[in-house]
Amino acid sequence: MSERVWLASYPKSGNTWFRLLIGCLDLKDGESVDVNETAAKGGIASARHPFDHTTLIESDLLTAEEIDLLRPRVYEALSQGLEEEPEEAGQTRELEFVKAHDAYTLTSAGEPLLAGARGARAAILIVRDPRDIVASLANHNQSTLDEAIAVMNDPAAALCARTDRVHKQFRQIQLSWSGHTASWLDQRDIPVHLVQYEAMKQDTAAIFAEAMAFAGRPISLEEAARAARLADFSELQAQERERGFGEKPPKTEAFFRKGRTGGWPEELTADQVDRIEGAHAPMMARLGYEPSLKLERAG
Amino acid sequence: MYLRGPSLLFFNVSGLVVASEIDLPWRTADAVAAPDVTIRQADTPTDLPGAVEAGPTWRIAGDQFLLRIPGVARFLLTKGREITFEIEDGAPAEDVAVFIIGTVFGILLHQRQQIVLHASAVRVGDKAVLFCGPSGAGKSTMAAALNQKGYQLLTDDVCAIDLDAAGVLVAQSDGRRLKLWEQSIKGLDMAERKAGAVRSRLEKFYVEPHEPTNQTLPLGAVYVLREMRAPHKDGIERPNVVDAALFVRRNAYRPRLVAAMAQKDRYFRSAAAIAAGPGVFLLTRPLAFKALPGVIEGLEQHWREIGLLGDAP
Repeated sequence: MSERVWLASYPKSGNTWFRLLIGCLDLKDGESVDVNETAAKGGIASARHPFDHTTLIESDLLTAEEIDLLRPRVYEALSQGLEEEPEEAGQTRELEFVKAHDAYTLTSAGEPLLAGARGARAAILIVRDPRDIVASLANHNQSTLDEAIAVMNDPAAALCARTDRVHKQFRQIQLSWSGHTASWLDQRDIPVHLVQYEAMKQDTAAIFAEAMAFAGRPISLEEAARAARLADFSELQAQERERGFGEKPPKTEAFFRKGRTGGWPEELTADQVDRIEGAHAPMMARLGYEPSLKLERAG
Repeated sequence: MYLRGPSLLFFNVSGLVVASEIDLPWRTADAVAAPDVTIRQADTPTDLPGAVEAGPTWRIAGDQFLLRIPGVARFLLTKGREITFEIEDGAPAEDVAVFIIGTVFGILLHQRQQIVLHASAVRVGDKAVLFCGPSGAGKSTMAAALNQKGYQLLTDDVCAIDLDAAGVLVAQSDGRRLKLWEQSIKGLDMAERKAGAVRSRLEKFYVEPHEPTNQTLPLGAVYVLREMRAPHKDGIERPNVVDAALFVRRNAYRPRLVAAMAQKDRYFRSAAAIAAGPGVFLLTRPLAFKALPGVIEGLEQHWREIGLLGDAP
């Protein structure tokens, strides 16, 4: 059985925070989380290096389409631990949590890009109120709020899709925010556990412990609460101020920005709220994100 | 570039004479009766029975290595001396050629028990200076920018390392052209040197270097390229010998093959010799093109400090 679990999410939905919580489980007393070391553990599904390492092929000479056709083979190999150094093979393998911003899609050959049950044993899907994502995504992309909304509403949106350069990550078909969320929730290849950012904020320890039990690494509520304290948002912000954070895009001010929930009424105009709610009402309803009053009146 | 009949073309690359049925973007050589390597189009198997090591796209069995690039070609490498290939799905010859000069030849060098690094190199004084890193690290861009400043290009992407008769570590040249993305060609202002696309479907192009050198040169320094991202600060540092040796092994052309072909000891010894001799340095810098002049200034300063360049401005 695969020892890999996807940590799937739309960008700016709490994926890094979740990985830092996992990293804090291994900290000894007196140690504090290192945002740069801990967040990098496990890597991301769209990373170029593991693909080149496993296939021996220079991925920067392949088209995005050719890469996608081979990606399932790479995840199968990584999932079986075939790519480890010989001295590491045969040892008990630890559960590995791998970030993924890809939507759960099929390749042009009709197979799951992420290799279904051969690529991972399960997925934890982290979702966040799309209205709260807007300002965070705009900051991350150094774009306007309207541009961020356009990306979230674009059914064909993709990350790292420029073709005149080599991106460090592969093109990731992301779909719209609703499309991304539905692709993970509705696939039937691997079990998926839904984590809502807002619930994590409210009761971090309980939500985290529940997700870890689902993934196959049960922890006590005390352990979960300790991790939550060590990865407290103010601690992450303080570390970023002090040492910087490697995943921050070069031109943005901070990666750990506000991390709050329900801030959107102060960030978005009524028109911008309309555009997000108009495009995503069914999925928002499915996840329990209440539409704003204006929409209720209109509806 | 197009497929030839039975007549062979000869090339001089990484210290080897290669005879090929397919035209390759390498330095041509005079015909010889017994080339070191031959490349032919022929029926090529889809699998190797008795494979002892394998990955999703490759198999090793005895002296044979099979690599499949889906939709392009299958390549069978035997004893480090013969390469046969069979084109898949009518792929154009250019597509086959670009994989031969990269992955396929790099694997062949591994098969020949050669130390081969994922590196581009330029000539500084009378020495070879290497820039290592995985795809996307900026090796070709760094070599191209230095080439624009007048440093001769030794090799791009694949760098074979040897010991010469006197026991000195040397880097082989390969007379290949640079391969640059459109963004880099624009950023480096090299449009007038741009040649054909490396593959018809990619915005990546061959670029003719100024004054490529065909000399074999002693190693002057090996830089491991790293992007400036927190917590790493920009600058040049020299890691301790143990870390340096590990950096070199990780920058083998295909680290996976160092393990699969039982070459760890060989790489470790060479890496330790490079680290203790010419030196292995971490070069951390921003990836932006506008930062390049400053990075090159820092490198030239470093070359004066380690004696590769004279003091005169």
